Amino acid sequence: MRQALHYLVAAFAIFFLWALASFVLEQVKGWPVIPYPWSVAAAGIEYLPQWGSAFASSARRFFLSLILAFATGLPLGLLVGASERLHRWFSPLIYLLYPIPPIALLFFLYMAFGVGEGVKVVTVSLTLFFQVLVAAIGAARNISPSYILAVRTAGANALQLHRHVILPAVLPEVFTAARVSVGLGITMLYIAETKLGLLGGPGSGLGVFIETYAMRTDLSLSGVVGLAFLGLLFYTFLEILERWLCRWKYVGKG
Amino acid sequence: MISVEALRIEYGRGRRHTLAVEEVSFRVEDGESVALIGPSGCGKTSILLAIDGIIRPASGRIIIRGEEVRGVRRDVAFITQDAGLLPWKTVRQNAELALRLQRRPREGIQEILRSLGLGGFENRYPAELSEGMRRRVGIARALALRPEVFLMDEPMANLDTLTRERIQEIILRLWHMYRFTGLLVTHDIEEAVFLGQRIIILSPRPARVVEVIENPGMGEAEYRRSEEFYRVVARAREILKSLEEK
Repeated sequence: MRQALHYLVAAFAIFFLWALASFVLEQVKGWPVIPYPWSVAAAGIEYLPQWGSAFASSARRFFLSLILAFATGLPLGLLVGASERLHRWFSPLIYLLYPIPPIALLFFLYMAFGVGEGVKVVTVSLTLFFQVLVAAIGAARNISPSYILAVRTAGANALQLHRHVILPAVLPEVFTAARVSVGLGITMLYIAETKLGLLGGPGSGLGVFIETYAMRTDLSLSGVVGLAFLGLLFYTFLEILERWLCRWKYVGKG
Repeated sequence: MISVEALRIEYGRGRRHTLAVEEVSFRVEDGESVALIGPSGCGKTSILLAIDGIIRPASGRIIIRGEEVRGVRRDVAFITQDAGLLPWKTVRQNAELALRLQRRPREGIQEILRSLGLGGFENRYPAELSEGMRRRVGIARALALRPEVFLMDEPMANLDTLTRERIQEIILRLWHMYRFTGLLVTHDIEEAVFLGQRIIILSPRPARVVEVIENPGMGEAEYRRSEEFYRVVARAREILKSLEEK
């Protein structure tokens, strides 16, 4: 509740600063460089069907990418992080691949996955995959030995050790990494959506929406606001998921 | 009965090779409570882990109730130094954990928690408890297994004096109630004398048995204030001191 209030205050602050910037630029330059927030809102509402379809397409791609990244990065990270031998063999490989932006390989990804939905989801999930993977490996290697000893003396097998100790110990850090990477993921999504021009029309994703209407600044900016909402949506989604799955982290802290 | 025969424990290979335990032999009779005491890092915990089947001895044998130890057993419970509670599990889930891992019915947890003064805290997380309560949850987890043998690795380490004495008295009471075979590892002399019918003194690493002190007077909470208690404590202290000076 209190957090919702903070967001409301922040929204008002952005609204005010934006309007101020529009006004100042208009006075200095003599023409409206940045459209006022209310005209952006009006333009967005006017084109609501296209805007909504663009937002839904981008959100769906991001959601699929997030699930794919967790489904692959988390188990692999647990395995590599928990085993000294696997870590020795795989970590050089991972740390060599980790800094490569998937966008640099976009041409090859298009060749491999075509120009449809697949390549966009693959690009974003590759980005998020490495964030989740590296966070999971780091956290799995830092687990207190006393937790591991406690379940081993109680007779736990390897699977039980992963389920009762390693996975729950690693989750909070993985969620933090994923939350921090939402912005990076959206950047990658934008590039993947627009790299090949305006295929699919303005309703096929926020990136294409923004570029299609580049000449109608108020409409184009409504697409940018859509990106901000997209980021907020997934940031909040991950936070709620973490608060639910990692309740123990928040006991006694309200 | 626990029988440890010519136990030898080594770690690492090549240049990092260390001999932790050298030829240690002793026995703990059924229903007996024995304390293992020695300087920090002497290999006490290694001996306990070998008895639990977590680490494999380089040579020698460990036999519990007629069977050689080859892995973690269902009739042996282990209490670790800091209770080893998992912060993501509630008090009840932590207390049930050993039963759950061994796929045994989770019965009697409620009574055990209540008898340890943890009633009403079943759904709390460890972060919400005092240190003394956390140790009691660790004891509950071990007790839930209804074990024949209790292995305790400094269960009272890093507690304030009153809390430590309280937990010692709880362990004493449980020993009278269940008559388990108890082996306690500690570096606290008074604790060893309070809880051990015999006190086995180990040398600095690599561990060897230096001396065994008989301590027939133990068994009551009041023993702590008796003259005999002080006499045994003084004797153990003297032996440990002479080891340090060597």
